[in-house]
Amino acid sequence: MADMRVLPLPDQDSEHYWAALANGRLEVQQCRECSRWTWPARPICSNCQSENLAWRRVSGLGEVHSWVRTHNVYAPAFASLVPYITVLVRLEEQDDILIPGRFLSDVEPHQGMRVRAVPERLTDELGELNWVMDPSQPVAPASA
Amino acid sequence: MSQFPRSEAAIAGIGCTEFSKDSGVSVFTLAARAVKAAIGDAGLHVRDIDGLATFGTNDSIGPNFLAPALGVKNLNFYLNQFLGGSVSMSVVGQAALAVSAGIADCIVCYRALNGRSGQRLSGAGAYTQRPPWDIQFKASTGYVVPAQEIAMAARAHMIRYGTTNEDLGELALLSRRHAMDNERAMMRKPLTMEDYLASRWIVEPFHLFDCCLETDGAVAVVVVSSERAKDLPHRPVHVRAAAWGGGVNIVNNGTTDLSDSPARPMAHKLYSTAGLGPSDMDFAELYDCFTYTLLSQIEGFGLSQPGEVPAMLADGAFGRGTGSTPVNTHGGLLSEGYIHGMNHVFEAVQQIRGDAGHRQVDRHDVALVTGQLGYVSGYSSALVLEGA
Repeated sequence: MADMRVLPLPDQDSEHYWAALANGRLEVQQCRECSRWTWPARPICSNCQSENLAWRRVSGLGEVHSWVRTHNVYAPAFASLVPYITVLVRLEEQDDILIPGRFLSDVEPHQGMRVRAVPERLTDELGELNWVMDPSQPVAPASA
Repeated sequence: MSQFPRSEAAIAGIGCTEFSKDSGVSVFTLAARAVKAAIGDAGLHVRDIDGLATFGTNDSIGPNFLAPALGVKNLNFYLNQFLGGSVSMSVVGQAALAVSAGIADCIVCYRALNGRSGQRLSGAGAYTQRPPWDIQFKASTGYVVPAQEIAMAARAHMIRYGTTNEDLGELALLSRRHAMDNERAMMRKPLTMEDYLASRWIVEPFHLFDCCLETDGAVAVVVVSSERAKDLPHRPVHVRAAAWGGGVNIVNNGTTDLSDSPARPMAHKLYSTAGLGPSDMDFAELYDCFTYTLLSQIEGFGLSQPGEVPAMLADGAFGRGTGSTPVNTHGGLLSEGYIHGMNHVFEAVQQIRGDAGHRQVDRHDVALVTGQLGYVSGYSSALVLEGA
């Protein structure tokens, strides 16, 4: 239930990101000067220092680098979720972008598992990013 | 490269309070008691203090409040560094720099917190004020505390090197063995592998005993010039080298494999500053907020090759009395207490002086002492301390 959740706290640089998720899209900033991707939302390209960043919808595909299963309740809002799995996903667009999110598929993840972003609407302006196993993608073996 | 003024400053005094689950007093009280104890240990008076330095994210009390309460009217140096264990050794390093530069004569570095009875890190997901910038990208999804981020790195190490929970458990057991004859330690009962494996999951792959304690207490250390330290009661403990700075973290772009130890670049900087290498370290007090950070620093600071810690543990390499480089001789944050790393400095100084009693290690001239190695904040810090 959205009203039980911890809501993201957007700032001027990130409000677009959260609103896009609310509308079902994972958007990431790309530098118009050097083409590098930047996540999370920031005002400047860390490669060429340009402020000329564009919001672009990305594939939403990636692979699991690591994962944890949280049993402890770190805030009251998470009490109904435990135990829950968080995956750290390497985004297909760039190998140094690792995005955490809850993993919603009913299987145990493993490194190399192909996953897909599933945005979740919390309010009109705020969305959340979850991940599911992507059955349309070949699944790498657990030893990958 | 780094031009840290090698061995120009020294730790001349150490002080601490009792480490407990419920101090029954304010953080302010804990800080004042530890500072008074340290300054007394140094053979100095509160009126000699002209600098105060601390750090913290949760429970803390700043120099601006502590100085007037102690009656210190003329601070020449103050530091209230934001962030946690990652910056713990930078506070000592900055005090050493200030003393070496001559802008202050006597700086007390301290850390005081009611980490169990006051603001607990394990309740950190419930924000009462706007959290640091990066938290917005983690907290709403329930990924909110260091335990989770460091468990993520531990999992990556398990995948790459075949590290197991039993391997992490051996580090918990090592720490407990070292705490058992430490009068300051909160956890002095024996811990078995069965206990470890049966303890509840906190964040898989971390069991309860992979996680450090939550502690009420305070530690303070007195930093003066090495010249002045010669005339004080104890063997001076020189700050031979200090290094601190940034690495990369999840939001900095640049982390591509979490199984690599983020301590490696800091280790290179520290050792080149010290003019020493890993084999010169007589013992090491490593920031062990979790068993895995201990493992990752043993690797990153060159006390083992990557993936070799389990075999070296089996050979007793890090044990007090058995090892070539005893590690966390007091039991660390895992079993002594969580004073955010300042208790590591306390122990290192006591060992270098030869005052560690039952815990005394044979070779005790040079110590590696580290802060959190770069997870979460991306910062880290470390010291090489050396007896004069």
